[in-house]
Amino acid sequence: MSGHGLELQGIQKRYGDLVAVRDLSMDVRPGEVFGFVGSNGAGKTTTMRIVLGVLDADGGTVLWDGSPMNFDTRRRIGYMPEERGLYPKMRIGEQLRYLGQLHGSHAQSAAAATDQWLERFGLKNRIGDEVQKLSHGNQQRVQLAAALVFDPVMLILDEPFAGLDPEAVDSMSNVLHERAATGTPVLFSSHQLDLVERLCDRVGIIQRGRLVACGSIEELRGQGPTQIWVDAPAAPEGWAAGLGGGHVVRTDGSRVLLELEKSTDDQSILRAALATGPVREFRRNVPSLLDIFRHAMTEAPVAATA
Amino acid sequence: MPRRPDLHTIYLIARREFTTRVRSRFFIFGTVLFAVLLAGYIVLQAVVISRVTTTVKIGFSGDAQTLAEPLKMVAATEKVTVQIHQLTDASEGDAQVQDGKLDAAVSGDAAAPDVAVKDNLDPTVEATLDALVKQVALDRALVASGADPAEVTGKVGAASVHLRLLDPNAAERTSRQVVGIFIAALLYVSLLLYGQLVAQGVVEEKANRIIEILLSTVRARVLLFGKVIGIGLVGLLQLTVLGLVALATISRYQVVSVPNVGVAAVLGGLMWYVLGFLFYALIFAAAGSMVSRQEDIGSVTGPLSMLVVGTYLAFFWVVANPDNPVAVALSVIPPFAVVIMPGRMATGDAPLWQVAVSVTLTVLAIIGLNLLAARIYSNSVLRIGSRVRLRQAWRGAD
Repeated sequence: MSGHGLELQGIQKRYGDLVAVRDLSMDVRPGEVFGFVGSNGAGKTTTMRIVLGVLDADGGTVLWDGSPMNFDTRRRIGYMPEERGLYPKMRIGEQLRYLGQLHGSHAQSAAAATDQWLERFGLKNRIGDEVQKLSHGNQQRVQLAAALVFDPVMLILDEPFAGLDPEAVDSMSNVLHERAATGTPVLFSSHQLDLVERLCDRVGIIQRGRLVACGSIEELRGQGPTQIWVDAPAAPEGWAAGLGGGHVVRTDGSRVLLELEKSTDDQSILRAALATGPVREFRRNVPSLLDIFRHAMTEAPVAATA
Repeated sequence: MPRRPDLHTIYLIARREFTTRVRSRFFIFGTVLFAVLLAGYIVLQAVVISRVTTTVKIGFSGDAQTLAEPLKMVAATEKVTVQIHQLTDASEGDAQVQDGKLDAAVSGDAAAPDVAVKDNLDPTVEATLDALVKQVALDRALVASGADPAEVTGKVGAASVHLRLLDPNAAERTSRQVVGIFIAALLYVSLLLYGQLVAQGVVEEKANRIIEILLSTVRARVLLFGKVIGIGLVGLLQLTVLGLVALATISRYQVVSVPNVGVAAVLGGLMWYVLGFLFYALIFAAAGSMVSRQEDIGSVTGPLSMLVVGTYLAFFWVVANPDNPVAVALSVIPPFAVVIMPGRMATGDAPLWQVAVSVTLTVLAIIGLNLLAARIYSNSVLRIGSRVRLRQAWRGAD
């Protein structure tokens, strides 16, 4: 699939005095898995709903493949809401066919896709069971199937991995990667940063309605602060705290994690350490997504009202 | 006018509502139970309204045998069946009465018979027998005085009471009123029940969040329409089944004196169910969309339910005062008309122009409500949390 995928330009949304989304611009490219990260209430769900057309934005545009998003395209987006979005008393086969047809599939293709996805998730033999009779993990699988059964042009998933065991997480991740590989853009939000780090090509960090960071993990790491592990066992207690140009993040025995200010040259730190005695370790710390996230949170305090 | 893809979507949604509900135990059990109760009630009415005939076994001997056939004929008009038995003499009659094989034994002279009973005789039979005996005695006296009994009886018979009927249809009116009350009752219960089901269905979709998926692919108004139509058809099916059961039972037992009334009443009732449902269901759906939990439904549907019950109560007053202008007004204004007018049509109090006006007003109201309800529904249905205020729902502002 060619094209530009999804683009958000300057999206604004407020609820009375509360600004839910502020000047949000981002894109999800064809074939990529994009992770949406942020605290509760940061604006992830609101943004997703705006893309889906379930909410109207106060300002900004949503583009698909270069043109403004319209109803016919929206119908073809596969959506998994944060909490279960299924009829509990409806049988899963029937429900998947129904949802497929609502999204524009013909009866036969909806039926075929239903069979195919239930087979894939190992639920074929439960096709006549009501949703509420399934375990949480299986219900989540059905929920995902509901988003896939009409061969969507894009996937938007709100906290899809919440409450899943590792096996279910793997199974779902594989499906997402497969879809992305066919060219479908995949956008999902999650609190599980290790998962996001593992799965995503690019990540967007949103805080209080603003996109405070956006890019691949590598790019984000590059934007973050420089951190160095220094092990100078002969150095006196608190030697690092006295150094200018940075501060101590934490200590681990004689190992010290230093965060450097932008202007600091790491070699000056090395020289200072060598001055105290032998240096056993001098290593760049590779920040995890959690570190990046924490850093982004502290670096971008914004007023809650416009 | 909705576009063709929207029509297809409405069909899909309505079909889902219909098939899911019709297959439910609630529907099947409820319909069967109600049908049985309905049929049973009608049969009970039939039995109670003096359809039961009494049978009296009487034996005749001697000259009194001439009384047998006339007694049987007259008694039959009073719904008493007389079984005639032949006896050889009075003592055989006594024995059979003592044994309980006969209720009475009549013997001796026709003008002064001996009637042996155990301890009492059916009053109709006794009165009829008495009159017959008197007639025999009178005939004999006339013959003895030289007059012709047939001629005298003829003159006596000609002098009878002629009733001037002031309200010939009164009895028919009463039975039509019963039908009318019945139709109104069935309608108001159905509107309450299915209106409530619509509200519950709306809240269910909010509570289990499927509304988010639905609204990402279906327009709010289309969803609203599909649900209302689907649930409405379920109610229509149930009422049609009940209507057929009622008609079949009525015709079998001939309870209502004018059977044509039955069919017309049922058809009128079904038409008004459709109009009434479209009217109330949209309001119920909009009300339901304003809350997020089943427990809160009562707070928004309560006033509506009271309105529906109120229409039923008003109907009784309207039936008692059919020509009062307020009654006419009530049977024409849409919220009330949908229950009152079908009842009035069944009782026969509604002239055609009133029916036409009420139908027109109701259809207009439904079109207007469609817009109003759709707007409230669209603005409220995604707001999860506490109850949405009506002004918020109308303005749609956040």
